[in-house]
Amino acid sequence: MHLDSNQENLLRGEGGEARQFAMEIVTKVGDAVGASSLVPIKSAHVLAHYSSLHDAGVDVLERFAESGGRFAVPTSVDPASIDLQNWKSFGIPEEYARKQFRLCDAYGRLGGMRCWSCVPYQVCNFPKQGEAVAWAESSAVVFANSVLGCRSNKITAGMDVACAVLGMTPSFGMLEDEGRRASVAFRVGFDWLSELDYRSLGYFVGKSSGSRVSVLEGLPPTVTSDDLKHLGAAAASAGPVTMIHYPGITPGSPTLAAASGGEKVEEVEVTRRDLDEVRADLDQTEEAPDLVALGVPHLSANELGALANLLEGKKLKAGTKMYLYTSSHAYDMAARTGIASTIEASGARITHSTDAEISPLKALGFEVVMTNSAKLAEIISSEGEVRMRYASQKEIVERVTG
Amino acid sequence: MTESSFKGRGLISGKAEGPALLSLKAFTFAHGVDPSTGVVTDVRSDIRGSNVRGRVLFYPFGKGSTTASAWFLETVRMGNSPSAIVTEGVDLSAVIGSVMAREVYGKGVPVVSGIARDAYSKIAAGSKVRVDSERGEVKAQG
Repeated sequence: MHLDSNQENLLRGEGGEARQFAMEIVTKVGDAVGASSLVPIKSAHVLAHYSSLHDAGVDVLERFAESGGRFAVPTSVDPASIDLQNWKSFGIPEEYARKQFRLCDAYGRLGGMRCWSCVPYQVCNFPKQGEAVAWAESSAVVFANSVLGCRSNKITAGMDVACAVLGMTPSFGMLEDEGRRASVAFRVGFDWLSELDYRSLGYFVGKSSGSRVSVLEGLPPTVTSDDLKHLGAAAASAGPVTMIHYPGITPGSPTLAAASGGEKVEEVEVTRRDLDEVRADLDQTEEAPDLVALGVPHLSANELGALANLLEGKKLKAGTKMYLYTSSHAYDMAARTGIASTIEASGARITHSTDAEISPLKALGFEVVMTNSAKLAEIISSEGEVRMRYASQKEIVERVTG
Repeated sequence: MTESSFKGRGLISGKAEGPALLSLKAFTFAHGVDPSTGVVTDVRSDIRGSNVRGRVLFYPFGKGSTTASAWFLETVRMGNSPSAIVTEGVDLSAVIGSVMAREVYGKGVPVVSGIARDAYSKIAAGSKVRVDSERGEVKAQG
């Protein structure tokens, strides 16, 4: 990879230890993938959950912070493994919390936007069409490329912090026109899709497209940005997906031909049966859930409002807990508007700054978890410790409330 | 004694040796290797139950979560890392994890890519392998 003289200086350590460490990482990655150069980014999004970063991740973050690192661009921070405010009441051990707080403190020193959310694009990180960014968190990357029309590779842990410290990333893959070209097209012909259908559809697209960029045609005009959030998240959990072109939605991709650069692509018609098969795959047991987990990725304030309407006047049955995962931002809004009190009156709890797939569910004693998130169902079932149920939120509420 | 020699591309430089541990399937450290023991735990792995510690670990591609670099680094921190990693495609998790390992723990793990999975059939599991990633060389005793 070609470096300019300023970048050479950073690699030699003339910009301080933290930026030298960051340059070591990005140049090795750039060389490995055959990138031509390092290019400026407008924002970064970095991972923060102790459950995957471990003590080693704490060491890396503290190394960056203690050697004078400071984020060079607006950098939002992904959720933690615990509810940072109410962790004690969720039964999180003190020792575990202390490790997580060390990670959080390091991000404070580095200058991160501590939104603790996997949906930064609904909270505090708003790049615009055509801008290069370096985001970790696969569902956010798909949203950035497919809905916002900005350009991000799926950035690996450690590389995320390095790019944020430098304000640069190697140019390859999704940053280049060639890497964004679609080579498979999916078509749906339904007038309407339920909230669960969008997730099952995303999962189907992710399983079927592999590492290919895809086009998804025929979404109903009623599709919301929350639907696209869950569709993309499901796709990225089922396969190595970084972008889906939605003609009419994705900036710069008004048609299939524009998305594929005029090339011929494989075409796949998605049927009701395909969606039903996803549902059957992910709904793996008949057992009653001991936890309902909604909000992977994080629920927006709108989605919390819809859940409040569903839960109003109902009570959770004994033996089942219900956690609704959201950003601190949407949590505050729900508290101010009365949405939170309606939800909590049912016995459900809203939890923020963390998410189900990165929290220690097994250690907290949960055996059967029910969700409408294809992403959560995929991740947890592949770990093989907790059994998953998958249904629409309406069906779930009917099942677990009296 | 016969020796098979393979030429790939060194991504993280260094020399290392150890017994061969070969997976023919996509591999991940994220929820796939227990960092505190080095044992492969991924239910979908064809080397589940094996220990990566001190081995020259071969796999065709990485897969799954982008946190794999952190899981790999934790495995290094706990003293259970493979002595080298050899892949067919580029696994950025191995590259990034190894750069961080050198910087933070003073222990780099050589990484070589570009050695096709067909070559694995010429290497017996457990046979002694030497890696010189500066030269992109992987040599296995038959």
